[in-house]
Amino acid sequence: MIFDDDLLERCISCGFCLPACPTYSLTADESSSPRGRITLMRALETGQLEPDDPTLVEQSSFCLGCRACEPVCPAGVQYGDLLEQWRDHQWQGRNRPVLARLLMAVVARPWLLRLQGLVRRHARTKVRGRTYSLMLGCVERGLYPRVSRAALRLAPGMQAPRAQGCCGALHAHNGSSVQGAEMAEALGKRLPGTIVTTAGGCAAHLSAHLGRDRVKEFSEWLVEMGAWPQGEVRVDGRRARVALQDSCHLRNGMGVTRQPRELIKAVAEYVELPGAGGCCGAAGTYSLLRGADSRKVLAPKLAEIEAARVDFVVVVNPGCLRQLEQGLRRSGSRVKAVHLAELLTWAEE
Amino acid sequence: MGLPAGVVDALKQIVGVDGVRLAPGELAAYARDATPLFHAEPDVVVFPRTTEQVAAVLRLATEHEVPVVPRGAGSNLCAATVPLSGGIVLALTRMTQILEVDGDELLARVQPGVTTARLADAAAARDLLYVPDPGSRTTSTVGGNVATCAGGLRGLKYGVTRNYVLGLEAVLPTGEVIRTGGRLWKDVAGYDLTRLLTGSEGTLAVLTEVTVALLPKPAEVGTGIAYFDSLADACRAVAAIISAGIVPATLEFLDQKCIAAVEDYAQLGLRGDAGALLLFGDDGPIEVVAGNLVRLRKICTEAGALEVTLAEDVARSDALLAARRCSLPALSRLGSLTILEDVTVPRPRLAAMVDQIDEIAARFGLLIATFGHAGDGNLHPTCVLDPEDDEAIDRAHKAFAEIFAAAIRFEGTITGEHGVGAAKLPFLADRLGADQMRLLRRIKTAFDPAGILNPGKVGS
Ligand SMILES: Cc1cc2nc3c(=O)[nH]c(=O)nc-3n(C[C@H](O)[C@H](O)[C@H](O)COP(=O)(O)OP(=O)(O)OC[C@H]3O[C@@H](n4cnc5c(N)ncnc54)[C@H](O)[C@@H]3O)c2cc1C
Ligand code: SF4
Ligand code: SF4
Repeated sequence: MIFDDDLLERCISCGFCLPACPTYSLTADESSSPRGRITLMRALETGQLEPDDPTLVEQSSFCLGCRACEPVCPAGVQYGDLLEQWRDHQWQGRNRPVLARLLMAVVARPWLLRLQGLVRRHARTKVRGRTYSLMLGCVERGLYPRVSRAALRLAPGMQAPRAQGCCGALHAHNGSSVQGAEMAEALGKRLPGTIVTTAGGCAAHLSAHLGRDRVKEFSEWLVEMGAWPQGEVRVDGRRARVALQDSCHLRNGMGVTRQPRELIKAVAEYVELPGAGGCCGAAGTYSLLRGADSRKVLAPKLAEIEAARVDFVVVVNPGCLRQLEQGLRRSGSRVKAVHLAELLTWAEE
Repeated sequence: MGLPAGVVDALKQIVGVDGVRLAPGELAAYARDATPLFHAEPDVVVFPRTTEQVAAVLRLATEHEVPVVPRGAGSNLCAATVPLSGGIVLALTRMTQILEVDGDELLARVQPGVTTARLADAAAARDLLYVPDPGSRTTSTVGGNVATCAGGLRGLKYGVTRNYVLGLEAVLPTGEVIRTGGRLWKDVAGYDLTRLLTGSEGTLAVLTEVTVALLPKPAEVGTGIAYFDSLADACRAVAAIISAGIVPATLEFLDQKCIAAVEDYAQLGLRGDAGALLLFGDDGPIEVVAGNLVRLRKICTEAGALEVTLAEDVARSDALLAARRCSLPALSRLGSLTILEDVTVPRPRLAAMVDQIDEIAARFGLLIATFGHAGDGNLHPTCVLDPEDDEAIDRAHKAFAEIFAAAIRFEGTITGEHGVGAAKLPFLADRLGADQMRLLRRIKTAFDPAGILNPGKVGS
């Protein structure tokens, strides 16, 4: 058995998820819709299709894993879990993209991540009480050490222990859900107390394994602690215009959408993008593995950002930050992509 | 089945390589629609983008006698898009242009693959209303709506899709392109082919363009909920509302099981202890809506409602209607095989029909939840089952056969809005009689001499 039977049976093929799916909106082809993919999974389960069937291989990687199909499904299909189980089976051995294999190998080695810490100046503190630990995501540590520094400035009571390792989200999404689960458990042991993370993807993965109570995404934590930022972010002498790009997993996996918006509203003029809840195409390793598709998913969002005439677009996940930074740069936009934590530190009294 | 030699190459010539899907997995994804228990794979899936391409595909199919099943979003509930004889699934989901929205003529012209919600949004952006409002609106296509003559949540006051179709462009199986009707409300030249094609379920022609009438957007929309001890009580309230001379835009009901399932999904704070609820709503000038909602509240209370509340704002109204629209998938939380049926009876028999359904469900030992469009007598008894339990599935079929028979006895019909498809075909003669069935077949032959369009459905 490849799939949890209950999970696969839940889908009644009503098609309510079709309009929410970014890959279906690119192709209008049922096999790249959530409903179609579930049909493919059923064909795999019953042996009607072999794991190396070209459509199965293609669709398991074409799917962004954004889980936009979950909240719109009235039948309660947990598509994210199904996708993990599918990739577990599908991507074993030679079917897993080489690049994904490489990245997974790197981030699974805590010493390599710590080495990064020596080079990049991410946040570090001595460990004391440990009620709240800031998680240093593996990607963020390497690419955006400034984010964890900003987070600590806003929340001085928080610890940022150095010995952390990676949460395993990358593994879970790339066909190694057992390893992904183990890594989450291990991180949970290393960081007792509440784990606060500045990466939506990590937050959703960790909370699925450690329980929703133990994991807080940064914006959620700030609002819960009442740690509202003071002052405002100004551009050219006026209040900055700021849009938000939701993190898919934060939105669809954890249901956190209100808090980052409220925090932005506290310091700037908030502008809602019509497609704020739709995937930007970063989708973990997706932008690396399927660059062309990733850019197609991003394109309408860039147009929306331009049309909104904002100064900044805020993200709550490092992969999305990279995606938007690159996209905006390539299109010659003057809009800047920033992490929520950074933006909040810019607020002046 | 297999396709005759050369057909695939010819199809690639017509729609391009990207518009032809042949891999086993791609075909598997088109083996079913939203109907449970029906399943058959096509030999090829074809995605046209223009009317000319549709015409060329149909000409080719007629020439080689290859079955063609037109398909929108595949959200129908009567196996209307299951390719029972294989052949071509003609997926119209890439024909998605809104060609015009005209505020002076009050109409819109769209390609068939535009979703109902997108058309409604485009109209709303110009302060206009596209009336037909099926529960599946975010997913279903305008072409599919016209082909099934979809109903919806505004049927009582405003009618169904056919009341809003002004004109069609349609491709006959032989490849001719006809334009029926046009841009006029008043137009009686010739047989009314627009109406004939509306509801023809992809068996007479492929719709490639649809012109629909729009209305000015009503100034105010309001909604309320009344809770009752039982569905029968709710039905009596419906009778009282209509006999008081009020025709509200929306009058929907859910029984206790549906309330629980919808609440589980949408978390609106619905009352779980009630046996049924009636969702009522109206639109129009502000004073009229406010007045009607107050009158509706009074009538429901007098008819024995446990509690009646009015939605405080538009957002709340929208949330209630959205929750009602997803009753079916939400019900599937109770068990993953959900067979939904679609009978309609004259409004005065509504309560009696509900009693019949309950009696039949009890006699067959089945869990049948019921919701529907109370205002127009359209009921959706929905059986929730374990997909592994063949014996129970068999019982469900027998129970539904009795439910259809009861509906006909009450001078009702075997489908109010979902259509016949493959699922209801065995019961159609009971409703129409042998002579009409023969006429249907003659009409079918006139349009489709080779019998290639959606075989095994109406007219076959
Ligand atoms: C949860 C849920 C709620 C629903 N609520 C309602 C409701 O309130 N009211 C209602 O009436 N229905 C409802 N339906 C049923 C269904 O959504 C409608 O029948 C809808 O009109 C189908 O549209 P579609 O685009 O999915 O068409 P499909 O399912 O793809 O096709 C339906 C039929 O139309 C034909 N067809 C499609 N496009 C064309 C075309 N361009 N030319 C010729 N033939 C074509 C097909 O061959 C088929 O016979 C609901 C379904 C679900 C799953
Ligand atoms: S909305 Fe849910 S039940 Fe409906 S087709 Fe999509 S996954 Fe299946
Ligand atoms: S996870 Fe995203 S891309 Fe994948 S099927 Fe769901 S909505 Fe589509």
